[in-house]
Amino acid sequence: MAKVIVKDLHKSYGDNEVLKGLNLEVQDNEVVCMIGPSGSGKSTFLRCLNDLEIPTQGQVVISGYDLSDKGTNINLVRENIGMVFQHFNLFPHLSVLQNITLAPVQLNKESKVEAEKTARDLLATVGLSDKADAMPKSLSGGQKQRVAIARALAMHPSIMLFDEPTSALDPEMVGDVLDVMKKLAAKGMTMIVVTHEMGFAKEVADRVVFMADGLIQESGKPDDLFDHPKSPRLQDFLEKVINV
Amino acid sequence: MKKWQVAIVMLLAALGSWFTVGTQAQAKTYTIATDTTFAPFEFQAKGGKYKGIDIDILNAISKKENINYKLKAISFGAAVQQLSANQVDGVIAGMNITPERKKTFDFSNAYYTSGVVMAVAKDSKIKQFSQLKGKTVALKTGTAGATYAKSIQNKYGFKIKYFNDSNNMYNDVKVGNSAACFEDYPVMSYGIKNGIALKIVSKQYEAGDYGFAVKKGKNAKLLKKFNAGLKAIKADGQYKKIVDKYLHSSESSLTGETASSRTFIGLFTQNLGTIGSGLWMTLELTVISIILATVMGLALGVLGVMPGKVGPAISSTIIYIFRGMPLMVLAFFIYIGFPDLIGHGFKIPAFIAGMITLMLNEGAYTGAFVKGGFQAVDDGQMEAARSLGLPYWTAMRKVIMPQGIRIMIPSFINQFIITLKDTSILSVIGIVELTQTGTLIIARNFEGFKIWLMIAIIYLVIITLLTWLSNWVQRRIN
Repeated sequence: MAKVIVKDLHKSYGDNEVLKGLNLEVQDNEVVCMIGPSGSGKSTFLRCLNDLEIPTQGQVVISGYDLSDKGTNINLVRENIGMVFQHFNLFPHLSVLQNITLAPVQLNKESKVEAEKTARDLLATVGLSDKADAMPKSLSGGQKQRVAIARALAMHPSIMLFDEPTSALDPEMVGDVLDVMKKLAAKGMTMIVVTHEMGFAKEVADRVVFMADGLIQESGKPDDLFDHPKSPRLQDFLEKVINV
Repeated sequence: MKKWQVAIVMLLAALGSWFTVGTQAQAKTYTIATDTTFAPFEFQAKGGKYKGIDIDILNAISKKENINYKLKAISFGAAVQQLSANQVDGVIAGMNITPERKKTFDFSNAYYTSGVVMAVAKDSKIKQFSQLKGKTVALKTGTAGATYAKSIQNKYGFKIKYFNDSNNMYNDVKVGNSAACFEDYPVMSYGIKNGIALKIVSKQYEAGDYGFAVKKGKNAKLLKKFNAGLKAIKADGQYKKIVDKYLHSSESSLTGETASSRTFIGLFTQNLGTIGSGLWMTLELTVISIILATVMGLALGVLGVMPGKVGPAISSTIIYIFRGMPLMVLAFFIYIGFPDLIGHGFKIPAFIAGMITLMLNEGAYTGAFVKGGFQAVDDGQMEAARSLGLPYWTAMRKVIMPQGIRIMIPSFINQFIITLKDTSILSVIGIVELTQTGTLIIARNFEGFKIWLMIAIIYLVIITLLTWLSNWVQRRIN
């Protein structure tokens, strides 16, 4: 069974329908990149996958758990889905290490000692071993985002959601963050990435999904999609993005 | 974590002991209310003890008749209200027996007969009522003087200004804001003898009888004992001795103060005990109320940012009600109105009532800024915490609250200072805290300027200390 199943997903804010009926399946170990113009509903779609947004209609099933089912414990489902935000959302009152260990310790996943060991290992993976005791405000944007990734990984999720993880970064910081994400993909993590980094999508994604006007317009393998776009919307979009 | 738990347990224990003390005391002892400043019938002597004709008569009668009682000095208006609300068993406060009052109260036999006089500033040219036309007359609420002046107001065309205690009324006349005041003769004459710069310019009007009052239909036994005792002390000469002692002597020989002790320092050292206990009461009220209001405010704040509509609605309503109500109205409502509503002789000790009042009022203000503080924390923080699988309350406690509280610290410090100052309003329900202490001391020595200066300095000193303490805490947290 597919790891993520989305059926006929609708989301409205008042009269404004942002998602107009999306269907998507993501398999285990698959990396899906979602591209599309601003306001196309990519982020809203991503946020529906861990219930940060509640769909108006449709079904989201994560690892067999139906999110719209009242009996589903959303907290347990969320433990299994890590999320990385555009603006990092690190906890400013906690040190880097505390940011990473908070959830595992609070949720009794690991003892404090175990969680700290895990945290240090993760910090090594993202190349920030020396920042364990630093406070978030002393870090650069790229460093913050790598800590945020480590924080999400500390819960040992099997799915990772990335919501424009590099959009708020200075250009020279983008590479470090993408490198970490590539490593993660190489290890077989199931990932759904909303991004404007076409290079990353081309290189890493198993599948690229193009969204516009609240609908999936086109999807396929990166080479097919980027080199042979079918829909005029995608052709138009790629022209603009690549010419920049 | 541990420390605040200990603090709450101690607080609850303290509250519990108050309630037990309260109920034990009510078992056999009558609570008799009196006025705070109505010399020579009642006033506070040096060291904080109450003295005066009423007090001595009550004491002498109690000895004769074996009455156990606890004296409660509050303003006259509050005493009357509390009697009708069953908060006290009797009132002895130079209270005139009037047909109006007889509808609500049962009176003892008259223990003193007095008339109303008009007094004006020493250098005033006013000698007759007709000269009051267009001028302002100062009156004390609920007194025979006030009733009399009101009855002749239309005839002589003066304006009326009400005060809650005698000294403020005298001062208003002395400084010329009001042209005259109306007061019971013995009270006025005693005051003048003790240095009030006023003079009596009229004869005695509306001679009236003073009686000891109980609520109508209640405490008949107490009333009977009072009458029997009054008869007895009149017969054995004690009564005459008491009246003579107050009406034919000057205050200093009674209160134990000498002229040389009227310097600022002299007054301070002399009243150290009284001021100290008032200060202690203020601090006690402040500290307990701050703790309770903070707990309530945090609860209201958390409720106010809860998902869904019910929590925020409850929070907003509570904040709306208790922030919108003047503290004094709230105090009266809880202390007098609420027991009245419940009936069955339900009583609530003034201290507890005061504490609840402050908790509700300051708690509502605290709730408002706590809610604002939580809302000021970026939404992304809650989303990040929840996306990790943390339940709402854990996210609240571990992520939102620590950040929100940091934002709120300046507001907390501000609120603590306001709470400290607001304790002074509780003097209206008879709590003898620092401000009331000042009123009481001035009631016997008429040193308004020096005593209020003293009280003001003490408030500033505590507020300075409180600010330092808060700043220190703030530095520690950041």
